[in-house]
Amino acid sequence: MSTIVQTRRFILRGAGIAVAALATGTLGGIRAASAATLDEIKKRGYMVVATEDDYRPFEFVQDGKPTGYDTELLGILRKQASFEIKQEIIPWTGLLPGVDTGKYDAAVTAALITKERQQFLDFCSPVSDATVYYVKRANDDSIKSIKDLSGKTVGVQAGSAMLQALPQLQAMLEKEGGKLGSVVQYVSYPEACQDLAIGRTDYVTNTVINLQLLIKEKPGVFALGQPVAAKTYIAWAVKKGNTSLLEFLNGFLAAERKNGEMYALQKKWLGQSFEDMPETWTIT
Amino acid sequence: MTEYDWISLLQGALVTVSLSLAGIALGLPLGLGLALIRWAQVPVASPVVATLVSLLRAAAAVTLGLLVFFALPTIGLSIDPIPAAIVTLTLSTCAFNAEIWRGALVDFSREQYDAALSVGMPKLLRFRLIVLPQVVRAAMPALVNEMTLLVKASPAVAVLGVVDITRAAVRIGANTYRPLPPFLAALVIYSLVVFMFVLAQRLVESRRRRLAFA
Repeated sequence: MSTIVQTRRFILRGAGIAVAALATGTLGGIRAASAATLDEIKKRGYMVVATEDDYRPFEFVQDGKPTGYDTELLGILRKQASFEIKQEIIPWTGLLPGVDTGKYDAAVTAALITKERQQFLDFCSPVSDATVYYVKRANDDSIKSIKDLSGKTVGVQAGSAMLQALPQLQAMLEKEGGKLGSVVQYVSYPEACQDLAIGRTDYVTNTVINLQLLIKEKPGVFALGQPVAAKTYIAWAVKKGNTSLLEFLNGFLAAERKNGEMYALQKKWLGQSFEDMPETWTIT
Repeated sequence: MTEYDWISLLQGALVTVSLSLAGIALGLPLGLGLALIRWAQVPVASPVVATLVSLLRAAAAVTLGLLVFFALPTIGLSIDPIPAAIVTLTLSTCAFNAEIWRGALVDFSREQYDAALSVGMPKLLRFRLIVLPQVVRAAMPALVNEMTLLVKASPAVAVLGVVDITRAAVRIGANTYRPLPPFLAALVIYSLVVFMFVLAQRLVESRRRRLAFA
């Protein structure tokens, strides 16, 4: 009995991460016809969207209510749509796999557009710029520019696009004769930033938006660095091939850019507006 | 932590306790049923149950949860987060319960069973009056232990969008960038919940002992 118990406890630890990676990786290959097209959504009267529960400033829960940039943008869509929009608030782990298997019709979340994700998702028009920067401790004078990152320990979210972008930083460092230090992966960014603050890692890479928010909230603790990867954008997503829903959402997003509502929300939540975003962004 | 943070932690506690109780209420009899199939060596069913129990024991609760919630829609079975969470916890705990029940059944003395048989007691009555009370007593400590493990395995269902104690604490930590207070609070709440299970077991056992010596 005791060995059974021990084993189960042990498995539980690593399983979350392993399964998340597995689900995102393999479920992409399973095709199901259950994601609802625009016609089906109109017919049944509701659309199910998934948003994250702790991804400030895009989507988070405050005093029991969902809020943030994406949630407010979704609020505008909710007023315009002829059907009801049901919002499921879930942790990141199951979000994109849930869209892929048809559990949710759309991911109304700040998902970075990546090559891997394009294989099983169709991304809408970008809702934000999300170029990856590094952040360091404000009192750490050993890091002044990219080349000082050589050999230092970096913290990054497991399974994230920031992790996949690290080879770009590696190439930058190797060009100057340096090398990428050890990489520590975290379940979520608050934990990674916590470890950076107490000195367990030397820098953390994340999108410019998240980092600016972090620095605004903890000005004495963290300091923003420079871009460590090529330009990237954040967008909502639907299941690959769900063209009617994609076009519907793109139409909405284009209109909100035109009338300035989206830029106003960007200023409110992200600290700046990104008016030069492309209308579509695919990585080839 | 604000007042609302405490409320959300307590709501999380309510979710954790309700889901665990549902898993226990379904998992206990289900486990007993599976154990009986193996104990009675029902042809065909017995090896099938043995394989199923081994698989479920090997699967981490998170894996099961993701499978039930995200993989079943690919074959057209879609269930809501709360039922999916209950199914996950029930499956997870019933396999361990089955092994505990089976251990108690295997240890049950054959002589008593034969004695009951010799006075012509029918099968069901034999089980209900002779076997079950003794097996329950033998299995109780291990079953309660498994219940407390289930409570602690329950954060696994957070991946389905269910906000339990741990998820509530994670949300608070993510908003304040100060994870220590919510996690300490969560630890205290878990301790209280587990303590209640152990207390209930002690009460049941002391009551039984009093009855036995009365």
